[in-house]
Amino acid sequence: MSSDDLATVPLADGVILSIENVTRTYVMGDEEVHALKGVSITINKGEYVAIMGPSGSGKSTLMNMIGCLDVPSTGEYILENQAVSAMSEDQLAEIRNEKIGFVFQTFNLVPRVTVYQNIELPLIYKGVAKRHRRKIVEKAIEAVGLGERAKHKSNELSGGQRQRVAIARALVCEPAIILADEPTGNLDSSTGKEIMALMDGLHKKGHTIILVTHEDDIAEHANRTIRLRDGLLESSG
Amino acid sequence: MTFFMDAGESFKIALGAIVANKSRGALTALGIIIGIVAVITTMTAANGLKNTFRETFASVGADVVYVSKRPWVQMGRGFQFRNRKDISLAASDKLQERLLGRGVVNPSISGNQSLKYRSKVLDGITITGTTDKQIIVSDMVPESGRFLTPFDVAYKKTVTVIGSGIAESLFEQTNPIGKEIKVGRYKFTVIGVMEEQGGSFFGGPDFDRQIYIPITTFGKTIGFNGGRANVNIAIKAPSAEAMSTFEYEVIGEMRKIRGLKPTEDDDFSINKLDTLLDSYNSMMGVVVLVGLVITGISLFVGGVGVMNIMFVSVTERTKEIGIRKAIGAKRRSILLQFLFESSTICLFAGIIGLIIAQILTEIINKLLMPASISPFIIVVALVVSVMVGVLSGFVPAYRGAKLNPIDALRYE
Ligand SMILES: Nc1ncnc2c1ncn2[C@@H]1O[C@H](COP(=O)(O)OP(=O)(O)O)[C@@H](O)[C@H]1O
Ligand SMILES: [Mg+2]
Repeated sequence: MSSDDLATVPLADGVILSIENVTRTYVMGDEEVHALKGVSITINKGEYVAIMGPSGSGKSTLMNMIGCLDVPSTGEYILENQAVSAMSEDQLAEIRNEKIGFVFQTFNLVPRVTVYQNIELPLIYKGVAKRHRRKIVEKAIEAVGLGERAKHKSNELSGGQRQRVAIARALVCEPAIILADEPTGNLDSSTGKEIMALMDGLHKKGHTIILVTHEDDIAEHANRTIRLRDGLLESSG
Repeated sequence: MTFFMDAGESFKIALGAIVANKSRGALTALGIIIGIVAVITTMTAANGLKNTFRETFASVGADVVYVSKRPWVQMGRGFQFRNRKDISLAASDKLQERLLGRGVVNPSISGNQSLKYRSKVLDGITITGTTDKQIIVSDMVPESGRFLTPFDVAYKKTVTVIGSGIAESLFEQTNPIGKEIKVGRYKFTVIGVMEEQGGSFFGGPDFDRQIYIPITTFGKTIGFNGGRANVNIAIKAPSAEAMSTFEYEVIGEMRKIRGLKPTEDDDFSINKLDTLLDSYNSMMGVVVLVGLVITGISLFVGGVGVMNIMFVSVTERTKEIGIRKAIGAKRRSILLQFLFESSTICLFAGIIGLIIAQILTEIINKLLMPASISPFIIVVALVVSVMVGVLSGFVPAYRGAKLNPIDALRYE
């Protein structure tokens, strides 16, 4: 079940992911919702991409697809030369663990456990030995400026601090892509700026970042903006 | 590797979840607790009964066969036994002659009579008329004084050897040896006190509360039931190994003594420790069966409770499952997390059950019989607890594990 024995589909040099004519249809009872109606995007390594569009246009659906939380109804998705569309659930979990770092609007920290344990969790799922985990987690906590909070529970933190934990957690497995779905959506503007500064810093260090937003001044941080409307690409920068 | 790391992590999370839901967890655990208490108490009681039984019948001896008119353990109402000829003292003497050099033969007969020493009276005491061979066939020795001798038996001496319990009740601090007691209307001289035999099995004989007199004085002083002697003959085999062949020799000799034709059935019964053990075992079977049924029902009820609490737990944490899946948890990790949670709940319940069972055991110990919880029973109880946890947690855990990550993440 290792990701090595999956079909490899070579991408052009410098391309990290390629989405080709992807659709996603949700079936709810008799009703079908076409959240994506045929979208094609190519993203290069080290790019900083903003996905914009009105509510319900399919931004989150696209993000979930890129993040391997979901698979396309039709079409191809190739991430780092691997065909995601054909993967089993556990293979997808492995890809999410090793190649994707998620940052959500609602932070999505595991309740009841400490900052340290939240950040450590992806490493546990990856199977990293305890003695190695410690160094990695401590480094990540330092990188997001939460040094003194390691032993706090997530409900003892402010929104900005929670999002920093989420970013640290997204980083520990050294993912190929960081996906942020409206990362500042639940934060006041000054805290939002701090989080965006952190994202900018990650981009400078060479991370590939894709973020969903409907705010222009957040989108401005990115080098490229993709616009969605009604499940279709309006422009792709 | 990954499995054990998952395990450690799951265990921590399970502990956290249980601490957060104390009251609900405790309530659900009740069924498990009762089940564990039932299983431990059953096994402990069975063990205790077995030990008490062994102690009580230690004097029966595995190498002794008894020839009696009736079997010790009687199925039905036993009319066929009542019509049998009594076994006379003469028959015992003949048997002794025929088995000379092969086995030790001791006839005995019991009845009830009151004892009196000065102003103290004990009613309904078992009086055993026997011979000097009694201490050979039943492996008992006097603690002080001496046992009956062939001379006492041959010359119908009115002497008695008393059990340790009788000595205590009748004489307290005084040395009983040489004292005269009244057995019914007859005076007997105490010549010895038997050593303590210990615990009596429910309803079984209490060897410490009886006295021994020469069998030759029994008829005159105690009186035979119906006027005729009906003795039990104990025959000690040369060794325990030789018992089965020896038993057939005894049967053969008895048939000759009783003048039976080859076509006639035995008109006497052969009794031995095995016969008692068989009936004891079937009684024990009933105790264990009842215990297991109670255990099974409580564990089932407890298991259903745990399953219920786990469904609630999985539903409440749907979002958490989504988060864990998003950061790379496989189905197996989620499954293990919840299985560990349910097993931990059950293990805690099991430990509480163990503590309660320990208290119960001490009460049994004080009131009924010697009993203690063996390490084996502790292991069984804990293994059973964890198994109930795994079984009852499986369906909820599986349901959590196969949740779709986006649906789980969207759950509020
Ligand atoms: N899990 C789902 N089940 C059914 N419909 C969904 C689901 N997720 C999204 N949708 C629908 O798909 C469309 C796109 O949703 P989404 O991708 O969340 O849009 P956005 O993030 O741009 O607001 C919406 O009409 C939404 O109601
Ligand atoms: Mg959205």
